[in-house]
Amino acid sequence: MPEPAPTTAPALSIKGLTKRYGDGTLALDGLDLEVPAGSFFGLLGPNGAGKTTLIGAVCNLVRMTAGEITVFGEPGSGMRARRMIGIAEQEPNLDKFLTVYETLLYHGGYYGMSGSESAERAEQMIEAFDLRAKRDVEAPKLSGGMRRRLLLARALLHRPQLVILDEPTAGVDLELRQELWSYIRSLHRQGTTILLTTHYLEEAEALCDEIALISDGRIVARDTADGLKRQYGVETLEAVYLKTVAGGRIRLAQEAEVQ
Amino acid sequence: MSAAPPTVVEPHPWRGLAWLTRREFHRVLKLWRQTILAPVIAALLFMVVFGLSLGESIAGINGFEYRVYIVPGLIAMAMAQATYSNNSSTIFQARNDRYLDDILSAPMSAWQVHIGYLAGGALRSLAIGVSLTALALPLTGVPLEQPLVLLAAVILLIAAFGALGIIVGIYAQSWDNQSFINNIVILPLIFLGGVFYSISRLGTPWEQISHFNPLFYVVDAVRYGFLGASDVNPAISLAVVGVITALLIGWAQYLFASGHRLKP
Repeated sequence: MPEPAPTTAPALSIKGLTKRYGDGTLALDGLDLEVPAGSFFGLLGPNGAGKTTLIGAVCNLVRMTAGEITVFGEPGSGMRARRMIGIAEQEPNLDKFLTVYETLLYHGGYYGMSGSESAERAEQMIEAFDLRAKRDVEAPKLSGGMRRRLLLARALLHRPQLVILDEPTAGVDLELRQELWSYIRSLHRQGTTILLTTHYLEEAEALCDEIALISDGRIVARDTADGLKRQYGVETLEAVYLKTVAGGRIRLAQEAEVQ
Repeated sequence: MSAAPPTVVEPHPWRGLAWLTRREFHRVLKLWRQTILAPVIAALLFMVVFGLSLGESIAGINGFEYRVYIVPGLIAMAMAQATYSNNSSTIFQARNDRYLDDILSAPMSAWQVHIGYLAGGALRSLAIGVSLTALALPLTGVPLEQPLVLLAAVILLIAAFGALGIIVGIYAQSWDNQSFINNIVILPLIFLGGVFYSISRLGTPWEQISHFNPLFYVVDAVRYGFLGASDVNPAISLAVVGVITALLIGWAQYLFASGHRLKP
């Protein structure tokens, strides 16, 4: 099958993305964001800021109220765009009827890989993510760490160009976190664009070329970690975070306490 | 850990559908005792108890021995319930445990996802229908008079109840919702649709009221396929079932295409 011509389009372009849920909650408020191809991009924000909704909209898992999404220049809802995205969601969502190997094999199939190609790739990912001993174990019988490994292996199985990681190391021990980041870094070095959401600010600072801060469904700041610190005249990314996205909330909480 | 270089692959036009179909078959076959064996035994018990044991003391209907007369309805009932239960439970479980996200984010069209899920119920239903027919032929001597009509009726039955299962699986808030529809709606309508009797024996107004029961036409079309005799013209039955099937398929397709209740 012919490979598409190399594109100079951003990995992800989002214009005026709005999502209002049925209960009236405005999760995304005309959000604009561009993630350059080949970048390691961090998305930081408090719970409820709109990170997961944003990721869901990009991955065809949330219905947009308004806005436009393109992935490497392709319309976000189109098949080519979907083929280029790999997502590891925050909560393990593994098919309870499938073993580790089958989870990977079927995922490759859903993404259009042939049986032999998917089988070969599944074995590669089992090796890469240290899942060999659990190859024939069903997902519900895996430990939390093993499920997290499998989620990442599944997200990367079809060799996506844009990998979206939603809190991939939440609840993961230090050793596994280092292993996962080492793998993700090597993928990034080979040209894969990574979009990461995390609550670990030091992790975002160490890994990401650029960081966007999201609050109340809008991007409120965006730059490199050093650029953000300069822009806000502070020493740490945590201080930037507190001044921007968390500042308003903390101030409100303090005012409420005083009253 | 070592990384392989990422490459771009064009989405294949039908492989996703093939793998989703395979996954649904995998689920049905993995749970074969529950999905195939149990419904076959249940329907077989009906045939043995009502047909072979009590049938001797019940007068024949429309020129057929009672044990023969009830076979098509019992097979239709078992197939309809199996298709419905399969699709409603597989969709509900995938939604509930959120592994449906892996399907919805994949490069598959709404039609492909729809057909993939219908296929699982179809396999289960056909496995039950073929097994029951194979057992009923020697046990009761039921004939197979109109195989083409039977084929058409079975295809429509599977599509209609498969789509209904998908719709309920998408709307259901709990496991109770699905069994409620099965026990309170489908089962009574099938029983009242002439599985065990001919509606011509009901008399006015129950005979006329039975014509408003859509499941009567399903049972009647399948009965015509087996026996070559039915309460209404088989063309009418197939047309009614065809319209119902088209409406249910359209509804299920709308849900997949719009993401209504599948995606927030």
